[in-house]
Amino acid sequence: MQDLVNIFVKSVFVDNMIFAYFLGMCSYLAVSKTVKTGVGLGAAVIFVLGITVPINYLLENYVLKAGALAWLSDDLADVDLSFLSFIMFIAVIASMVQLVEMIVEKVSPALYGALGIFLPLIAVNCSILGGALFMQERQYSTIAEATAFGLGSGFGWLLAIVAIAAIREKIRYSNVPAPLRGLGITFIITGLMGIAFMSFMGIQL
Amino acid sequence: MAINKNSNGYTFTFAILMVVVVGTLLAVASQGLKSRQDKNTSDKKMINILSAIKVEATRANAQEMFDTYVVESKIISGKDINAAAFDVDIQKEFRDKNLKLSDRNYPLYICEKNGSRYYVIPVVGTGLWGPIWGFVALESDYKTIYGATFDHKGETPGLGAEIKQGFYSDQYAGEMVADTSGTFLPIVVVKDGSGKGMNSKVDGITGGTITSKGVEEMTTRTLAVYVNYFNALNN
Amino acid sequence: MSEKKEELFSKKNRKLMTDPLDGSNPISVQVLGICSALAITVQVEQAFVMSAAVMAVMVFGNIIVSAMRNLIPSRIRIIVQLVIVAALVILVNELLKAFMPDVSEKLSVFVGLIITNCIIMGRLEAFALGNKVWPSFLDAIGNSIGYAWILVVVAFFRELFGSGKILGFQIIPESFYDAGYMNNNMMILPPMALITVALIIWVQRSKNTDLIEEN
Repeated sequence: MQDLVNIFVKSVFVDNMIFAYFLGMCSYLAVSKTVKTGVGLGAAVIFVLGITVPINYLLENYVLKAGALAWLSDDLADVDLSFLSFIMFIAVIASMVQLVEMIVEKVSPALYGALGIFLPLIAVNCSILGGALFMQERQYSTIAEATAFGLGSGFGWLLAIVAIAAIREKIRYSNVPAPLRGLGITFIITGLMGIAFMSFMGIQL
Repeated sequence: MAINKNSNGYTFTFAILMVVVVGTLLAVASQGLKSRQDKNTSDKKMINILSAIKVEATRANAQEMFDTYVVESKIISGKDINAAAFDVDIQKEFRDKNLKLSDRNYPLYICEKNGSRYYVIPVVGTGLWGPIWGFVALESDYKTIYGATFDHKGETPGLGAEIKQGFYSDQYAGEMVADTSGTFLPIVVVKDGSGKGMNSKVDGITGGTITSKGVEEMTTRTLAVYVNYFNALNN
Repeated sequence: MSEKKEELFSKKNRKLMTDPLDGSNPISVQVLGICSALAITVQVEQAFVMSAAVMAVMVFGNIIVSAMRNLIPSRIRIIVQLVIVAALVILVNELLKAFMPDVSEKLSVFVGLIITNCIIMGRLEAFALGNKVWPSFLDAIGNSIGYAWILVVVAFFRELFGSGKILGFQIIPESFYDAGYMNNNMMILPPMALITVALIIWVQRSKNTDLIEEN
């Protein structure tokens, strides 16, 4: 249990998808104009990451990696399907996103309208594929660890987007030079937040 | 054509066709290119091994140079002692959590250059962002490092990635991994600049501490095994 | 209705190539492809390699999707686009591993980033799905050059100030270092990439005031 909590906390702060790895920037920048949409998208990301990382973990360990197919038959123990990793992970992610889209449309049509194109774009959100690839790289030993990682990464992403959205709502009334308004100043603030988060790097929990 | 593009039947058929076409294409490409890719990987491994004994090889002459300088490759301990040493994938074994420590295979490359013998030891470990690895060459006294090469998959360029550069790996030349009585000495990576000189310490990379410490960990862990082996040989 | 055949390099087609260089730049205006702009702009060489790979995938992706645009069922179109892009990237990666192994080593870390590069998906969705092959081809070229120039400029500053070199060649002379100049190691880290892009945006929008956002 201690292990799982460690992984979760580490993924939120030390390995934050936005501030440490800079994955998932496009939707982060585009949907952070208000806290409300930020929370909505962040929740969707948590859901997608929390589900796709464990599913991809199962895929990786029972289908893809070298020798993974040994449970089906001993003859297949030599098969290495890892070159199919990208496509299979993406297929799982795209299907999950389709599911989330349908759920959001039913549950909250207002949020669905507000998120617009960025809901289906979660499928291409580099942080989701990034989550699957990190899981593959770090070779978590159990599905519980993979899930803790997925949920933690999603939560870290939510934290990041809510933080920047809150700041953006406030600076709308500040004297930002016109050419920097909107996108430009958001980049700078994110950069500064990134520098701050670097203080977490290398922390051993 | 009156096929309804949006009908379930059409969608389903399209999806299946797509999976088959893409799957076949990728499988064919992967198989067809595999032998070239494998040759590229083994050429790179040979270049790295030779680089540890300060022999520069290129992809064009890697095999030839390897055959010239490496006189024997063996596995000093592990599950498959009689297997081909070159084929041992120590990275894969390192990451395999189900592999018992005693089953890990430890290859050794015995080289001859200008009449002297050198022993090249492969090492593997973890950096900040991914795996790091390298080759350390010992002189025939089994104690002094002749040369070393390090490489990585995705360390930070300009920081951790600098372990690949000569200025870092050249520090290892001349350092001792065992004292006169055969006791193992780990090569410690330090941050205070005291790594100059032959004192079993090397200077880490500023800003690349985690990667540098990763190098220390992997050399310590692996060289200990080989030093034990060499001590046993001597007795 | 007979369509007048559009000249290969008519004004409209040329605009497809020139717009993304400034007015509809994928990174600074469309807000796509940010992740890679931050991750692989540490050295100019990386920026070139990545841009070349993105251009190859975008061009072929646009051509294939445009050619197939009347066949793809709309319900699964995102998945289809993703699969096409992923397959292309894997193919490029495998070909590089076989024929240009040193380049592939540098690229391998970013392969995943190319697949999720929102520019590629974005242009497939916004353009290739609804346009003919030749305009889609030009759109891909325009957008990949628009992406490339920003990447190279950011990489130029990051490599110069971060390590004193460009393309591996020492630019800042030894005398500067002896006088006490030190490389700004911060530039090598991703947050500075964000700030560099922000400065580029500042310059761009000062010149092209149409792009300034309303509050």
